Amino acid sequence: MGIDPGRLHFSWISSAEATKFVDVATKVIEEVKALGPADRFVKEKAQVA
Amino acid sequence: MTEYTQKIREIAKKLLSEGKVDVVIGFREGTVPLMAEPCLVSDPAGVDQLVFNSFCGVNLANYLPRRKDRIAVVAKGCDSRNMAQHIAENQINRDQLVIIGAPCTRMMDRRKVAAAVDGKDITSVAEADGRLTVTGPGFEKVLDRESVLQDNCAICVHVNPVLSDEMLADPLPEQEKDRYTDIREVEAMTPGERYAHFEELLSGCIRCYACRNACPLCYCPTCFVDESKPQWVGKSIDPTDTLTFHFLRAFHCAGRCTDCGACERACPVGINVRQFTKKLEKDCKELFDWEAGMSPDVRPPLDTFRPDDPGKFIK
Amino acid sequence: MRFLKITKNDWARGVEGLKDSFRVFGPVLERSHFNFRPLEKGQEPDFSFRNTRLSPKSTVYPQSEILFTYTLDKSRPDHHVHKEPPRDETPRAILGIRPCDAKAFGLVKLNFDTPEYKDPYWLSAYEATTLVGLACDEPCSACFCTSAGSGPFDEAGLDVLLKDEGDHYLVKVLTEKGGKLVSAAGWAGEASGAEKAFVDGAAVAAEKITSFVSADKLAGKVTNQLHNAKFWDDVAFSCINCGTCTFLCPTCWCFDIQDEVAGTDGVRMKNWDSCMFPLFTLHGTGHNPRGQKTDRVRQRFMHKLKYFVDRYDKGIMCVGCGRCVQHCPVNIDIRRVCEIMNEYEPEPETCPA
Repeated sequence: MGIDPGRLHFSWISSAEATKFVDVATKVIEEVKALGPADRFVKEKAQVA
Repeated sequence: MTEYTQKIREIAKKLLSEGKVDVVIGFREGTVPLMAEPCLVSDPAGVDQLVFNSFCGVNLANYLPRRKDRIAVVAKGCDSRNMAQHIAENQINRDQLVIIGAPCTRMMDRRKVAAAVDGKDITSVAEADGRLTVTGPGFEKVLDRESVLQDNCAICVHVNPVLSDEMLADPLPEQEKDRYTDIREVEAMTPGERYAHFEELLSGCIRCYACRNACPLCYCPTCFVDESKPQWVGKSIDPTDTLTFHFLRAFHCAGRCTDCGACERACPVGINVRQFTKKLEKDCKELFDWEAGMSPDVRPPLDTFRPDDPGKFIK
Repeated sequence: MRFLKITKNDWARGVEGLKDSFRVFGPVLERSHFNFRPLEKGQEPDFSFRNTRLSPKSTVYPQSEILFTYTLDKSRPDHHVHKEPPRDETPRAILGIRPCDAKAFGLVKLNFDTPEYKDPYWLSAYEATTLVGLACDEPCSACFCTSAGSGPFDEAGLDVLLKDEGDHYLVKVLTEKGGKLVSAAGWAGEASGAEKAFVDGAAVAAEKITSFVSADKLAGKVTNQLHNAKFWDDVAFSCINCGTCTFLCPTCWCFDIQDEVAGTDGVRMKNWDSCMFPLFTLHGTGHNPRGQKTDRVRQRFMHKLKYFVDRYDKGIMCVGCGRCVQHCPVNIDIRRVCEIMNEYEPEPETCPA
């Protein structure tokens, strides 16, 4: 679709794996922050005539 | 193809007069060259309007969902696969249908024909021996049939109906074809290039929804773009909204699309809408060895879980 | 009435000159087909087209148009105030519009410019626009303009009419607006006796029209009988309820108003809508008075060929451009439907035994 692969993440985390959830979430946030603000699929105001 | 027309009329007449079906869904002669109009016949006296030619590209499976009557329906390879898909998705019962199978000699693209004569006004076409003779004011041109096929028909590997109760001819040989050269080109792009490619592809979209409405898979009572409480997608021609519509629609067709080409054929502004659905079709083929609509009895891969489903994307 | 003769060089130079004082629109080839688009500096209108895929209605009536913006942020002094975006009031010129499409502006005007209501968006754009028509010397086989109240040389909606003569154009200046445009372009060179060329050209072109509709009996039909006629199911069967016909049509004018808010900032806009869409008539209660596709197909044809005829007494709401005939994905043909409606005789009423 044209979304940077670093902005999409799938993990399998059981409800018992709280630490894994924290680790994954932290890592994903860091990765996305490193990529900076997204400029694709972002709509602030309709771009029309 | 005229043999098909003759046989369709005979079969339709027989089925209607013997009371085996209530209606027959087929095509009638178009009012303009290079077109045929889907039609419904319920009176045996009306079967003579039925025809079959190289411009019967509309997917008749589109006219089946929610019907309660017994229907005979003409089906090309792709149409029959969408009928199998409908049966698997409980949109129609197999025992409501008498499928008149048409081994398909591939449909022609009216826009390619028009382009082949530089957009000149075409007043009549005649087809014989793999060639199409196109005439208009002050010109006549003979075209090779192969050069003006619909893009999806040119790479079709299932021209023969997968389900049928009557057959209009013996099955035709199927071709071996690399179906995905164009998709690989898009896959090779960087995410940024790909986004730009899709934006450019959709730049002429007028949100008329002809692609969606021509699609036999798009039978949802209310499409997500038509939801108003809440409204998920903007209704203007904002590029992000337009992209969202096309992507979501394609994803909704993943593992169900038979590449019948109805969407592309219907688009009034010539957008290659199959770019979206075909990528998902390719993924389903590669990941699940799945081709949609080959049997009404197998659950499609995306509505079932198998322990060996590929899961490499899960980290 | 003034007639001019301008060479193709004069034409190109004049078009370029016009761009100083006008926003100039013309047919442009996009992928496989033509559309009317604003012309950049140095860009000439491409007159090798037969007609554009989309009608030129979007030049004064864009598919999506912002009416005003607002903010709900109470910390801002202008909160809850409707702010109109700056409008481009520069005169516009549409070069090469076909006479049928120009005629269509007149029909759309009946809706947007009434004694009670005036649509400021449409009307200000329309009033700023000068329509320079290109006579249709080679009408298409799907065109039926001559029986739809227009014609290949119809001057009704135009300010200027051009006739292509190979190495030059003959120019017929029809209105004061047209005269101003011609002066702005620097086109001079009176062509005496050109009137005959237009009269003869019109006759020759009209001869080439091979397709017709009969609409003479529509006004005499009883609306309810036509509405309840049995043929609608057959007419509508193949329809997939897409918006191709209405969006390509030069005379379809329906729109929808939408608010889009991001955070506290919003816009209100006007988008083309289509009577083919179920959402068009969906009530807030969830009830839809046109819930079935037959209802919607009937509405489109009844509006164009009956309600409009009765309401305005200006013929049918169709100029015979043939776009819907050529591009309907399932080949629903307004000429055929018009014929059925025109010839319709109500079934004799019988009392149940």
